[in-house]
Amino acid sequence: MPSQDATRASAEPAAASTESGRLSRRSMLRGAAAAGAAGLAVTAMGAAASPALAATSQPSAQDSPQSHAGPIVVHVRDAKSGDITVFSGTSEVRLHDTALAARIARAAG
Amino acid sequence: MSSHREAPEISKDPVADSTDVYAFVSPDNPDTVTLIANYVPLQDPAGGPNFYEFGDDVLYEIHVDNNGDAVADISYQFRFQTKLTTPSSFLYNTGPISSLSDPNWNSKQFYSVTQVDRSGAHVLASDLACPPCNVGVLSTPDYEAKLGQPAVHSLGNDMQVFAGQRAEEFYVDLGSIFDLGNLRPIQELNVFAKAAGLAAMPGVNATNGLNVHSIAIQVPISALTISGHPTIGVWTTASRQRARVFDGADNIFSGPWTQVSRLGNPLINEVIIPLGEKDHWNRSQPVHDKQFATYYAHPELAALLPVLYPFLSPGKPVFPDLAALVKAGTARADLEAILLTGIPSGLIPGFTNYTGAVQADMLRLNTKIPPTSTSAKNYSILGLIGGDPAGFPNGRRVADDVVTIELRAVAGVVYNLIDPKYVPDAAIADVSDFLPVGSATITNGPLPAFPYLGVPYDGYDQKF
Repeated sequence: MPSQDATRASAEPAAASTESGRLSRRSMLRGAAAAGAAGLAVTAMGAAASPALAATSQPSAQDSPQSHAGPIVVHVRDAKSGDITVFSGTSEVRLHDTALAARIARAAG
Repeated sequence: MSSHREAPEISKDPVADSTDVYAFVSPDNPDTVTLIANYVPLQDPAGGPNFYEFGDDVLYEIHVDNNGDAVADISYQFRFQTKLTTPSSFLYNTGPISSLSDPNWNSKQFYSVTQVDRSGAHVLASDLACPPCNVGVLSTPDYEAKLGQPAVHSLGNDMQVFAGQRAEEFYVDLGSIFDLGNLRPIQELNVFAKAAGLAAMPGVNATNGLNVHSIAIQVPISALTISGHPTIGVWTTASRQRARVFDGADNIFSGPWTQVSRLGNPLINEVIIPLGEKDHWNRSQPVHDKQFATYYAHPELAALLPVLYPFLSPGKPVFPDLAALVKAGTARADLEAILLTGIPSGLIPGFTNYTGAVQADMLRLNTKIPPTSTSAKNYSILGLIGGDPAGFPNGRRVADDVVTIELRAVAGVVYNLIDPKYVPDAAIADVSDFLPVGSATITNGPLPAFPYLGVPYDGYDQKF
């Protein structure tokens, strides 16, 4: 594990970028927070994606919708550039997908 | 106020609004340090039927830096969960509450404590009971014995924890001080109060009779410090998940935790950080505080004091030396030391709480300095500037008069530590919202033992 001091020090600017898959002080904090919340009320919902998004999804076998127990929230930051943030659990993933962003934008009217 | 409603965004989110942080060597257990973070400001004790509680959707943390790099080495995380005993009732309680498990208490809150350190995350305890709010003599009789003290939980290893409602112990003449910087005891000198014909009068403690929600944890000093570094830096944060969707009865919270509130030294985001930067400051981490250093070095308040309080008598200014300091544009190395790095050794005989060159707003506590008995001659609620090294800015005790200390510090009372030729203005001795110092009315004062904050005021007996 990298020095938590070093990773924590860089957490702030990193917070605005993709944080998935990185064993860091911040990810540890997220995990710990989730562990601390074990047993707390959890909103049990299926994927919250719109029908339009669901229609465009082509998940691989290892990335099936069923692997997500909780809700997924999608934030299209900029439809033109395809800048999308996907929130799930206590993590987020930043995507750049102009086609997906365009479909969501059309679904939004 | 110390940090109550101090920034535009967080003022709209009370459960995540940190109000005060305390860190001190426990006077009755001096091998330990007590860390306290208060949230949910300005509680009217009669605020039913939905009385105050922590946010189930908020991650509360108390951080400790023990090697001077302004990055947390140990963090204590607190997560809360509310459980309803009788969801079909609108009542907070359906009869007197005589214990923490009393079925008459409808809306109970429980919490977990997790320690995050170099070795990982460790859940220290879960399902710990908070006490109820102090509703009134009928609902919560014998509050402290039956509900308050039983909510002090041992975590083992000489650690204990408490989370729940307490009396607000931070005192300030809020109604006056944010009315154009007026200090009632010397308001005959305030340019606006003088024009209004107001004579000097005693200060009014605007927080007396109000409650807060406190998270207090007591930890052995040996568990917080590392060899050769007796001084720790302490701050609290509140975080929310980045995404929230209002979706009928079930709100959706998703994404990583993002910081929405923080607090180390008192009054910083309140009066040092300008309005346009306050929300940003709350989202920032101490290790990045160099970006705010100019506001500590050139505080707006230092320039305002000579303007608001121009003359003792015709031609005789109140703050001539401070005014000269401001006019010269002198960077306030004294304030930067007190608030951003700690005070290096050699400036005050026998004292230091310097943590290194990294500028960071943390409450710095030199754990080698023993607590001062309240009966000792050198005990002072003015802390270090009152000759008591166990008080603020060496950590912060519950009773410390941080408003007066910081007002006087900004007015230049210790600038001669930086420039021995500087003579602080004589009027500084009268700069306070309560004169004599210590005269603020606090009905439910601090307790002598953990959690140290006083018994919360009850709704029935409130006197407004």
